Parts: sequence; structure tokens; C-alpha cells
Amino acid sequence: MEGRLVSFLRNTFRRRQVEGELDEELRAFLDLAAREKVAAGMDPEAAARAARLELGGVEQVKREVRAGRPGARLEDLVREIHGGMRALWRSPGLTAALVLTLALGIGANTAIFSVVDGVLLRPAPVADVDHLVIVWETDRHSGTSREPASLPDFTDFQRRARSLARLAAFMAGEVNVAAPAAAGGGAAGDPRRVAALSVTDELWPALGVAPLLGRGFTAADTRPVAARVAVISESLWAAQYERSPDVLGRIIRLDEEAHVIVGVMPDAADFGVLQILSRAAYSRSFADRGAGGRVDVWTPLVRDDERLPRDTHPIFMIGRLAGGSTRAAAQDELAGIAADLERGFKENDGRGVFVESLPDAVFAPVRPALMLLLGTVLLVLLVASVNVANLLLARGATRAREVAVRTALGATGARLARQFAIESVLLALLAGAAGLALAFAGLRVLLAIAPADVPRLAQVGVDARVLLFTLAVSITVGVAFGLMPALQARRVEVQSALRGEGGIHATAGRARRRLRAVLVVAEVALAVMLVSGAGLLTRSFWHLRDVDPGFRPDGVLKAEVQLPAARYPVDFARWPDLPEIHAFTRALLERAAALPGVEAAAMAGNHPLDPGFTNSFTVVGREAEAGSWPEISVRRVTPGYFATVRLPLVRGRLIATSDVTAGEPVLLVNRAAADRFFAGREPLGRQIRLWGAARRIVGVVGDERIHGPAAAAPPAVYLPLAQAPSAAGGEVVLVRTRGDPAALAPALRGAIRAVDPQLAAFGIEPLDRTMDRSVSQRRFVMLLLGLFAGLALVLAAVGVYGVLAYGVAQRRRELAIRLVLGAPPGQLRRQVVAQGLLLAGAGVALGLAGAAALARGLESMLFAVAPTDPATFAAVAAFLLVVALAASYLPARLATRIDPMSALRDE
Amino acid sequence: MSPRADLLRGTLDLLILKSLDPGPRHGLGVSRRIAQITGDTFEVKPGSLFPALHRLEGRGWLASEWGESENRRRARYYRLTARGRRQLRLEAEQWERIALAIGWALKAT
Repeated sequence: MEGRLVSFLRNTFRRRQVEGELDEELRAFLDLAAREKVAAGMDPEAAARAARLELGGVEQVKREVRAGRPGARLEDLVREIHGGMRALWRSPGLTAALVLTLALGIGANTAIFSVVDGVLLRPAPVADVDHLVIVWETDRHSGTSREPASLPDFTDFQRRARSLARLAAFMAGEVNVAAPAAAGGGAAGDPRRVAALSVTDELWPALGVAPLLGRGFTAADTRPVAARVAVISESLWAAQYERSPDVLGRIIRLDEEAHVIVGVMPDAADFGVLQILSRAAYSRSFADRGAGGRVDVWTPLVRDDERLPRDTHPIFMIGRLAGGSTRAAAQDELAGIAADLERGFKENDGRGVFVESLPDAVFAPVRPALMLLLGTVLLVLLVASVNVANLLLARGATRAREVAVRTALGATGARLARQFAIESVLLALLAGAAGLALAFAGLRVLLAIAPADVPRLAQVGVDARVLLFTLAVSITVGVAFGLMPALQARRVEVQSALRGEGGIHATAGRARRRLRAVLVVAEVALAVMLVSGAGLLTRSFWHLRDVDPGFRPDGVLKAEVQLPAARYPVDFARWPDLPEIHAFTRALLERAAALPGVEAAAMAGNHPLDPGFTNSFTVVGREAEAGSWPEISVRRVTPGYFATVRLPLVRGRLIATSDVTAGEPVLLVNRAAADRFFAGREPLGRQIRLWGAARRIVGVVGDERIHGPAAAAPPAVYLPLAQAPSAAGGEVVLVRTRGDPAALAPALRGAIRAVDPQLAAFGIEPLDRTMDRSVSQRRFVMLLLGLFAGLALVLAAVGVYGVLAYGVAQRRRELAIRLVLGAPPGQLRRQVVAQGLLLAGAGVALGLAGAAALARGLESMLFAVAPTDPATFAAVAAFLLVVALAASYLPARLATRIDPMSALRDE
Repeated sequence: MSPRADLLRGTLDLLILKSLDPGPRHGLGVSRRIAQITGDTFEVKPGSLFPALHRLEGRGWLASEWGESENRRRARYYRLTARGRRQLRLEAEQWERIALAIGWALKAT
């Protein structure tokens, strides 16, 4: 055994020496044999000849020796791979076409797979994710099923629920973080706006996430009188503290208040937070606020029932099911508790609970889109593979002679098939490598344009798992589609191939042509399916863009600020008379309105695409009805708001500068509110009781689609900002300019700084960009599907062209004879084109049937378009036929450009 | 491989091992020795001889080294290894059993 291993290693790694020795051994044999014969009396020349004769073919002997060596099969394989490479190298054009085609398919798959893998397939960064649940409150009156809870409700649920091992709460917000003063004692840098979360001490134990450094929060930290502490994210730790362990105990200024850093959390500790926020009604995720998709600062949620009473709902609840409990059991138990609360407190009228599985909430919104994209790229890969099989088949025909010669020389069918398979696997691996390069580039673009609320997007990348996937796909494609021509090649009839000029027997040729036609039909059908899907999404997107949002975002620039309570105190006893805040509002408004090119300016509680919050209300004199009414969206604006966003007045008057803090409380209702609550009655002059005051309705305005263009405008009221300043300190400034709104950003930032130099402005962007982002997931899917459909279309067109061009080339002689005999060229052209259209037509018919079947899966992503929209399907069919027509016309021209003399002489 | 070729290859291996029993030889020497001991019944062509030598060496039954021939020509000399000697004994016994059995079979009426 050991001897074999040694000689195997010798043969493999000291090849040159082994071969040299074999050479010398054989020469010695010749020499010795000749000398022997000379000694026996032969003359030297005859002896040499006789010795050579005795030895036989030197090369043959060597080959026999090599074949007997250990490792000979491996050597065979190496030689075959070498041969395969040479074969590919001999036709560089074809090889490049094959590799590029496959690389596009493989690259698209690798890129999308790496996203799907990173987002959906990888295990969650928390312990036992399937036992985590979100506890939402529901509102029977408005029909919403995902609302945040109040702090007292949370405390009651937490105290009473037995089906949950732990229940934790968090509250989302943003804070300004002042950069730490430089070590040399220099001035602190500009504050940065980061996403922040106030959490109860149970959150991390519930998730099963441990701090990297220091500690999490304790129950003591959440008491109203506790010292101010904070935990920072790993990223912030790296960016601002260079990962120094000394960070513990240092002071971080959050919204200008000093906090002691007690811990560092891994970035993954905010698992699901972003998605919970985007799913909730009346909430918005950090991503919409330009604060980025990662929580950087964590503070204890101060459990102060006076500041967060039962009618205030900012609390999100995450629970871990107790051992042996299920989501359904938790739902039943918590619903019982909620019913008790509803009986006990009038604030809880109509409130229930909805226990949702956390993985469902996190992944459900992106799963359909990602699965759609994965399906799409698989179809593209299929089209690419079919094209490659087609090209290989065409080449197989030209190689029939080679196959025949080798068969005649004794190569077995298995050996030939093996060689073809090796060639196609080589091709596929080359394509895999090229595809990987494409995927790297594509992934960067993909991540750049991906909507920010896709979970775990930051963890997407090309790693070992993805490489393995690419390798598996490449080899599968290589073997599957390489074997097809190989099997065809085995059918070559040696005699006729060697004799015949066409290379293959007529029947084999017909079978091959039929197979290629079937492949082309399949290709066209797949392309039709993809183009139909892309068409439906594109039409949806157009519809969405055509929706009138009720306001005009173009030409408007927005900026958001957060007024720190330290310098802008909120005294609830005096509200709405908060002089510091009103002074800020007036000062900034004055400066913004005076900026060059500004037509109109306004301050508001929320910009038009920020749903803000809702409140319950009553109409004075109709209090009994209010029990079954949903909450109403509350908008707070200065008089200039309506001119700035071009929100039209329907009846009555708008908010005026005369509606001051001390004046009569007034408000406007939108048309949706007028229709819903004043159907058939006059709203003007009626009073709405809201926030402790009866406010007179002085006007009706149009509807703003504050939830984005895809959702109808909810009922809303507009209050003068002067009579309803923000208790939480958030304000928005909006300016309408005659010029480019983006160009005005530095000036607006300057205006804010001039009013309060310490204030960080954020979310500064033209409003139409905000609008675009609200449809970003749709656009993302549409763009990608469109791209892949285009790819499939090009490949299918190449396929049609290839089959027809090859058919024309094969029929050269026949066509030449017909031309010589006087057939009109137009007729020949029409025949070729008709053939192409026949193939394409079959493909289109099949593809439309397939698209109709698949479109149902698209339904959730469509807007105002039926999944079987006839206009889209007709357009796709017509488009594909035109493409097929173009792809057929070139070969048709080829058919009539044949020079009959040369075509016939070739024989 | 047909059974006959197998039989022949077995025979060739046995003859090569036997020819090297007295001492090391080079390729031509093995060929000549086999002709000699079989009374010129077996004439081993180099086309079978060298592959067989390399194969037997690969199995560890032979070892080889470069040496000088009787007329001062450098040549490769093969010799039996201990395992080769054991194999020779084994194959010789087996062959004798087969020869005996076939001899009886042919004599039987």
C-alpha cells in the first residue's frame, strides 16, 4: 500500500523525472537489444532496425506504462480537462457568448440569493426566535389591529400574564448625540441625529441578547428618580470611542442632557424593532426620518404613569412565550386581561389585543417580494441555460464529424459523453466565476437602492454560503445542459457522418432541429412570463405615480427639528401657552419665509407624508355617537401650510394668523372627516372636543394621503400650531420655492442654525424625494423585475435568431438551388420569418398562460391593476412578437444573400 | 477485460517474478530470461513487458534502481522485494494447483 502511495505521489508530483526515466529505460532496451544482435553477428544498422522492430511503437509502450500506473484515471481526467479547455479556447467567440450568457444568469441568482439568505434564511440574532411575540393593542372603532399600548396597560399585562415568561416594552425616538470632546480638550463637534430606543430592563433578557461590554438595564434604572444612564450600539462605540473599553462610565450628551454610559450592545440587538415600527398604525420608522436603520442609543424607559397616562399610546411590547405556551394561548389570556381593562377604564373603550409572532411581523412584509425576485432570477437562469444548450447543440452539429472520427477510432459513447460533460462543466465554472464578479458589482447597486426597512440588510454579503450556492448552481447547470448535446452527439451515425457533407444523418438532424425549436419556444414562454410580471408592476407603479396625493410635493423642501425639553420646557399646566416653543416657531418661520426664492413657508407638527398620531374626539352635542367612532388624525400647522403644500380649501376659511394661542380654539376638518362624521349635516360652526377644549370648525379642506399614495386619506383635523404646540418637541419646517428645492437646503439649515445654533436639523430633503421613498419597495421590485425581464427578453431574442440563422446555414444548398431555379427572394424571406413567428407565437401563447397562472402571486404588489390585466398581456404579446420578427428578419436576409454558385461549389 | 487476457496477465506476472528470483535484471534481461526458462514458448514483447514491470513495481513486488550493464550501458535493474518473493511463492503454488487440476481434468475420460 505504502509502495503504491509513494509511486502515486512520485508519478503525480515528479512527473518530469518519471517520464525522463521511462525514456531512458526504453533507450537502454533498444541499445542493449541492438548490441546483443551485433554480438550475434548482425551488422550494426540491421541490428538497430531489428531492435526498434522488437520494441514496437515507443509512444505506444509509454502509453501502456502510464495507463498501468496508480493515479492513471486522475491523469486521464486532467488530460480531458486540458483537452476541454483547448476545445473552448479554439472557438473563443462562442465560448465568450456561452460564458457571458450563463454568467448573467448565475450572477443574478448569486446576488438575489445573497439577499434572500442574509435577510430570510440566516438564523435570527436572538435566542429561540419562534417563541417571541409582539403584543399589539387593537381598536374596534377604527378597525386598526396594530397599535402601540399605554404604559399602565403594559404594566397590567406584564403583572398578570402567565402565558408569557417575560414581557418587555420599548418606545422609539431619536436623539441628538453630541460628539465626545476630543481627547486634547477641544470643543465638541456638531451633534448627530441617531435612532434611540427607551426600553424596559426585560427587553434584552427576553430577546436573549447580551451586552458586549458593561451591563444592560436594571429595574432600578426605569424608576422616575433614577440616575440617567445609557447603552450605546457597537457601531457608535466603534465610530466615536474607537472600541475603547474605557467607554464605560463616560458621559454622553443626549439631547443636551448628560447620561452615563453603562454598556455596549451588539448591533443586532435591535432585531425586529424597525419592522415593528413600520408595521404599526400611526407610527413611522426611523428610516423615514433619515436617522438610518440602526438603533445607536438605548436609554431606560422611565415608568412614570403621570407622564405616560393610560390615554397615551407610545409603548411597543415584545414578549417571550412561557415554556409550553403558544401564541394562541397568549392571545386568549391577554384578550381576557384587555377585556378587564376595558371594563375598568374609560380610556380603554374599544381596546383589545393582538398577539403576533415576531418572525412573522419581521419577515412577512419582505418575503413575497424576495421570493418573487428569487423566482424571477431562477427563470432568467433557465432562459440563459436553454440558450446555452441551444448554442451547444448547434456546435454539436458542427462537431459531428469529430465525434464520428473518434467513434471510429474506438472512443466509447461513455467516454465521449464524459468529455462533453467536462467541457460544459468547465464552461459553467468559468461562467460561475464571471457571475460572481457580476454579483459583487450588482449587489452593491442592489443594496444602494434597496428600501431601508428590509430587515438585516446590513448583514447581506457574499460569503462562503453564497459561494457554495453559486458553485452548486454552476455545476448543476453545466451537467444538466451539457449532457443534452452530449446525448445528441451519441446518436451520430459514424458512416454517414464521415461520408456525408452535411455532417449528420438527415433524421438525426431533424430530431436536433425539433429539440432546438422546443427549446426556443420554452425560452420565449419564460421571457413572456417575466415581461408580463414586469409589465403589471410597471403599470401599478404608473398608477401609483398618477395618484393625486391631495397636495403638491414638487418644489417643497422640508426639514425637521427636535426641540430639547431642557431649553424648550413643556409645562402641561400652561399648555398650549409654551412661550419658548412659540418663539422658536415664529423666529424660524420668519427666517424661512425670507429666504431667496421662497414663495410660501410653514411650520407644522408633521410633514404631509408623516402620518403623525391620532386621537379620540367628540362632536359637541353628539357625544353619545363618539363611542363607535375611530380616532382622528391630528395635524397641527401654521397658516402658511395650505399655500406651501397647495392643500385646497373646500368651504369656509383656512387657519389665519389671527388664530392665536389665546384666541378662540378653532380647527379645520378634511373632506374625509366631513363625509364620515357629518354626512348630510353642516360641519361649519360645529364644535369638536379635543385635547381638553371645544374647538369650532371654521373650514373644510381637501384630503392629504398622509399614509402614502397607495392608501386613502384618513379623516383628519387641522389645528393652528399656535393653539396646539408639540408636547414632544418635534417640529417640521416646509418651504415652497420657485427654484430647485434641493439647492435651498444649505440656506434652510443656516436659518435653523441662526435661530438656535445648538439644534441639529435632520430629514432635510425635497418633499418629492420623501414621496418617492414611500413607494421605494415597489420601485425596487419593479426595477429589478424589469431588469431581469429585459435580460430574459434579450436572451430569448438571441435564441430565436440563433435557431433561424443556423437553420438557414444548414439549408444553404437547398435555398441556393431554389434561388437558381427562380424562386423569388421575397418568398424565401417570408418563409424564414414565418418560421420564426411560428416559434415565437407558440412561446407567447404558452407564456401568457403561464403568466396568468403566476400573476396571482403578484397580486399583493399590484395597485389598481388586475393580475390578468388584458391590456398588459396584449402589449406584452405584441412586443414579444415584434422582437421575434426583428430576430427572424436578419436570418431571412441571410437566406436570400446566399451566392448560389459558391453555395453549390462547396459540395 | 476478457478472462483469457486476465489469465495471460497473471501468467506474465508470475513469469516476471520467477525470472527475477535468481537476482536483479534489466528489462531486456527479464525478456530473455523468460524466453530461456520457458524454452522459447513465451516471447514477451516490450509492449507488455514494461507496463507489467511498472505495474508490479507500483504494487510493491519489485524495486528498481539504475545500474551498469555487462557492457557498461546504464540500465534500470529490477529486483524482487520481500513482498514480491512472498507473492511469487503464492502464485507458484496457485499455478501448480490449477495446472494439476486441469491436467487431471483433461486426462479424465
